[in-house]
Amino acid sequence: MRYFRIFILYFEHVLQHRARTFVWFLVSLLNPLIFILFWRGAFQASSGAIVGWTMSTITSYYFLLTAVSSSLMSHIEEDVWRYDIQEGELVQYLLKPFSYFWLKFFSEIHYRILQGFYVVIVLIIINTVFGRIIVITQDKNLLLYAIIIAVLAYLVSFIFKMIVGFIAFWTTDLYGIYDLLDIVMVVFAGYIVPINMLFEPVRTTAYLLPFSYMIYFPVLALQGKLSPTEISRVIGYQVIWLIVFIGLYLLLWKKGIKKFTGVGQ
Amino acid sequence: MSQIKVSHLHKYYQVFKKEPGIIGSLKSLVKRKYYDAKAVDDISFEIKEGELVGFIGPNGAGKTTTLKCLSGLLYPTGGTINVLGYNPFDRKRQFLRQISLVMGQKNQLWWDLPAVETFLLNKEIYEIDDKKFKRTVDELSDLLDVKDVINVQVRKLSLGQRLKCELIAALLHSPKILFLDEPTIGLDVVMQKNLRGFIKKYNEDFQATIILTSHYMGDVEELCKRVIIIDVGRIIYDGSLADIVKKYTRNKLLTIVFREPVTKENLIGFGEIKNYDSLKARIAVPIAESNKVAAQILNNLPVEDINIEDPDIETIIRHIFNTKK
Repeated sequence: MRYFRIFILYFEHVLQHRARTFVWFLVSLLNPLIFILFWRGAFQASSGAIVGWTMSTITSYYFLLTAVSSSLMSHIEEDVWRYDIQEGELVQYLLKPFSYFWLKFFSEIHYRILQGFYVVIVLIIINTVFGRIIVITQDKNLLLYAIIIAVLAYLVSFIFKMIVGFIAFWTTDLYGIYDLLDIVMVVFAGYIVPINMLFEPVRTTAYLLPFSYMIYFPVLALQGKLSPTEISRVIGYQVIWLIVFIGLYLLLWKKGIKKFTGVGQ
Repeated sequence: MSQIKVSHLHKYYQVFKKEPGIIGSLKSLVKRKYYDAKAVDDISFEIKEGELVGFIGPNGAGKTTTLKCLSGLLYPTGGTINVLGYNPFDRKRQFLRQISLVMGQKNQLWWDLPAVETFLLNKEIYEIDDKKFKRTVDELSDLLDVKDVINVQVRKLSLGQRLKCELIAALLHSPKILFLDEPTIGLDVVMQKNLRGFIKKYNEDFQATIILTSHYMGDVEELCKRVIIIDVGRIIYDGSLADIVKKYTRNKLLTIVFREPVTKENLIGFGEIKNYDSLKARIAVPIAESNKVAAQILNNLPVEDINIEDPDIETIIRHIFNTKK
């Protein structure tokens, strides 16, 4: 009950930024349009499906990619490294008899909920205006698995981004790491093209790295493109990455907190 | 009984040292030189329950670092700390429930919401029951005169109002130990006075142990019987404020008002002339000779009024820092 009340109080806080989060979401909606235009040309030239994708499924893919990215991809790392560690805001968290992890979790998840809400509204509007161009699976079982995969994806992404933020305990300039991470994510999370279109060994690497389990597979699960075997494999990998990241989180927190100075790092 | 025991505390920071200019920048790409900045260098002290202790020193003396070590924010390089029977850095929940650190330059209030929302968050975090929460908020907001503003968005409050709300947020759980780091920084004199009154009352009413750092000697003089003076990470004085005057004052100050103009030459020989105009002068005189010199001045010069006083505490502290360097 106490956790729930704290959760609600944080929601009030995030609601103050509702306009800002809506603009972020609208901006992110522009990305799929560029890719869809590119694929329209490609499909016209090939006159058929490409590696199992059609114009209709690829359109859905990019819109769902934006939707999933907005509602599942955590951006807590900047909060952690810039404000908490480098500017010393962590002081206020450390003084509280409450877990830093959960306070950050509560402060972040509401942004995702809010963006998820915008996603649903905008997707309904797009489907109403342009016909059913964004298609998600109608199979209730597949939908249930898609939700499980989405929840695990968020947890993996959240803990991973907390870990990225912790690097600030050891280094002052994180911009390079941050930009590098962006590039890696763009390729290995399926932002440019669906991962099954990538050439070897990039494709296999993408399946081994955690990024595809944060974005790409939740999108495929929503589209109903995963077989039961693939669903079990995806959930298995997500659980493994979750365990690895929890271990890494605890280790880095224990080591990093001893380096914290409480002012500029 | 001691609530805080600090023994041989050290806190060193590793600091990167770069030679100036482009050559220095290129060198630092290959090999970086680090040195240990000694923020706190072997300090020991004990503080009893209910004491209100002033922690004073110039910028970079190690005051805030010590407070951060005591509240569990920093991992000490060496030495031991015991606060209420806990090692602060373990940050056990039971320990954190009994302390609070207020930093004048850092805030915990949600900027976009009224302060009362942060109070509610702290209520849940510290598991304060409804009755106690209401009573404490009423009491504190009354005492600090912010009853009307706790429901106003924090960003719209004045600095003084914000600081008072910060104090309420920090005191909701009635901490037994309160660390106040520059609590009056940036406040006007009236607000400083009010806040001092509040700190004093909190100390008396709750028998709370308080350590206060401040650059304003007024804070220390009005609140603290005991002071710890720290400079370059080391304690240079730990004792009562009254004893500082005895220990470090070598001179008394004679302020003389003359009936008619007196030349500066007439004053030479009585002591060190601190201020002079033809009708008024301030002369520093060794303590042992102050009465004798005052009598001589009265006998030899046209004196309207004479006043013998100890130098103010700020001058003494400045003198201590200067002589220790």
